[in-house]
Amino acid sequence: MDLTPLLDDRLVLVTGKGGTGKTTFAAALAALQAARGRRTLLCEVDSQRPALDPLVGREVTFAPVRVADRLEAANLVWPETLVAWLKRMVGMERIVRAILGNDMVQRFLDFVPGSQELVTLSAIAEHVERYDCVVVDLPASGHAFSLLDITRSALGLFRAGPVRERVLQLRTVLEDPRTRMFLVALPEEMVVNETLETLARLREHALLGGSPVVVLNRAIPPSLTDDERTLLERLSAAGLVGDAEEFLEAGRWERASEEAVAEAAFRLGQVLGVPPVLVPPAPAAGRERDVMRHVAVQLGRHMGVPRQELAWI
Amino acid sequence: MDLSAWLKDTRLVVCVGSGGVGKTTTAAAIGLWGALQGRRAMVLTIDPAKRLANSLGLEQMGGEPTQIDLAGLPEATGELWAMMLDSRGTFDALIAQVAPSPEARDRILANHVYRAMADAFAGSQDYMATEKLYDLASDGRWDLLVLDTPPVQNALDFLESPGRVVKFLDERVLSWFTAPYEKERVWGGAFLAGTSAFLFRLLGYVFGKEFLDDFAEFLQVFSGLYDGFRQRHQAVMELLDARSTSFVTVCAPTVSSVEVARFFQEELARRGHPRGGLVVNQIHRVEAADDDADGVLGEAARTLGADLQPATAARLVARLGRAHARLRAQSEADHALAARARAAAHGSGGFYQEVPRIEGEVHDLASLEVVGQHLFGDAEEA
Repeated sequence: MDLTPLLDDRLVLVTGKGGTGKTTFAAALAALQAARGRRTLLCEVDSQRPALDPLVGREVTFAPVRVADRLEAANLVWPETLVAWLKRMVGMERIVRAILGNDMVQRFLDFVPGSQELVTLSAIAEHVERYDCVVVDLPASGHAFSLLDITRSALGLFRAGPVRERVLQLRTVLEDPRTRMFLVALPEEMVVNETLETLARLREHALLGGSPVVVLNRAIPPSLTDDERTLLERLSAAGLVGDAEEFLEAGRWERASEEAVAEAAFRLGQVLGVPPVLVPPAPAAGRERDVMRHVAVQLGRHMGVPRQELAWI
Repeated sequence: MDLSAWLKDTRLVVCVGSGGVGKTTTAAAIGLWGALQGRRAMVLTIDPAKRLANSLGLEQMGGEPTQIDLAGLPEATGELWAMMLDSRGTFDALIAQVAPSPEARDRILANHVYRAMADAFAGSQDYMATEKLYDLASDGRWDLLVLDTPPVQNALDFLESPGRVVKFLDERVLSWFTAPYEKERVWGGAFLAGTSAFLFRLLGYVFGKEFLDDFAEFLQVFSGLYDGFRQRHQAVMELLDARSTSFVTVCAPTVSSVEVARFFQEELARRGHPRGGLVVNQIHRVEAADDDADGVLGEAARTLGADLQPATAARLVARLGRAHARLRAQSEADHALAARARAAAHGSGGFYQEVPRIEGEVHDLASLEVVGQHLFGDAEEA
């Protein structure tokens, strides 16, 4: 799978099943975009437990903060995102304050189906206007999909008025061929299942203009020879105990990982038409920034961005 | 205190944590433990791996309670049941339960805003999970319920989800939004004077008048359901706060899942939930004294590999040495993270349990029992 088209994208939506490392990939991807001279915003979506802070080494707020040359980061937290949206919808600051001061309207906004999703998408779209590239660390894939899907369902609900207009604008942003979903998967059955499900739904609803990218994270490329496998099996069956068994277990561990990688790559490849990009595990579980650096270097290889250009990380 | 003692008087176990940390497996193992203790256990799970369904002897797990065949475990004197959360159907079923009449039910099910709202809530499985939980708890067929919650980033979402409908739909909201439509009401105009009238018109402008009309109709119909929702919400909150409810936070030795676990622990403490504990799954264990693969395995490899390609034994042994070294590094990192998670463990009396990574997938009841032995701390030390 060729990742170079990512360097022309305006909006990259990173998601994946929980625990796949999507935040790390979002950050690495943003670093690569910036390294290639693009003014880039790395964005997370109302996370109560900010995940970007340790990666960028500072507190990420609603107002974009500078991380490195050409790279900024923002956290679309509530209620700031809502305030920005209201300003856009009703124009006047005083009216916005009246709305926010009214308990009934507050509850209404909390309750209107999809309003939070619309407000968030709208904020993302505004950033797309201001940067060369926006990389968003979306919620886990199930929630991420409903976030995008709101642009479809909202049209049936809001049949006139500025909200409808805005929904139509958001659809245009999503349908741009330079808007793409970046899915992070792991070589595990459940994760691959969920990734395939997300791909199927994306295709069915044709929400995004660009074709999706899939990376298989923590994937050890297969390297055991047939003879080595045979010998590993014989040794495992020989009834060895203690330290010997522990060495064999370590070996079987890596063999099982290799097989899981082959299987995951095969299943994803069948749907994508090309094999997914494999990203090997970081050398020993390091600090978050070390893992991010490793991921950026690996992705950079597929995007033609050499390691030395990734100065800030 | 170990998990076994901890769960002795527990009737509801809520497993929380981020995705991919073995939460579903932990929930299933707790359910199986219950059955082994002679209890009638029900595991309510969300989208389990097919193999887990298979491990419970099920072709596929459905939205109805299914009893697991424990014939292979004669020592299990209780029962084990499982069901999967069907979030689509749950909300409609809930409406049917709280609707005062079949007419009210049909009107609400057909309303535009209701359909959108039901879809939105169905998407949030956490809400449905708590609703289903209430049904199961009231059923009386089970004396141990284990809830495998959806992987939410945010503990608040899960704990507060039952309140979302209730929070919005109190009488004041109902009258605020429906008053403008009750033309015969003399005081309606006065009620909506000033700021309220202005804001109402503003919402109509922003969201479109058609939407506000749909919305008001929705509220008018829904007002009859309000009491039902409120009672249910209270009952669910009482259930979650009860002394017989335990929260088990599950994490794996990864930075992000440990952070989520710490966050959960803090939230539970802040909310005053009295009973909780922490399980750290998937910890790599290394006991071998050194990385001298050749000394330990060289001879056996050369003997058993005599008929293979000449260098195979040497290459494999070297490879096992490297694999073991990686395992050791991993193990050290795992333990460091586990210690970090433990430091945040909830309260003073909360339990803490580490579960080693288990070779192969959990694919049958026997391997689930192995997980359980580690979880309940009575696995034999190797």
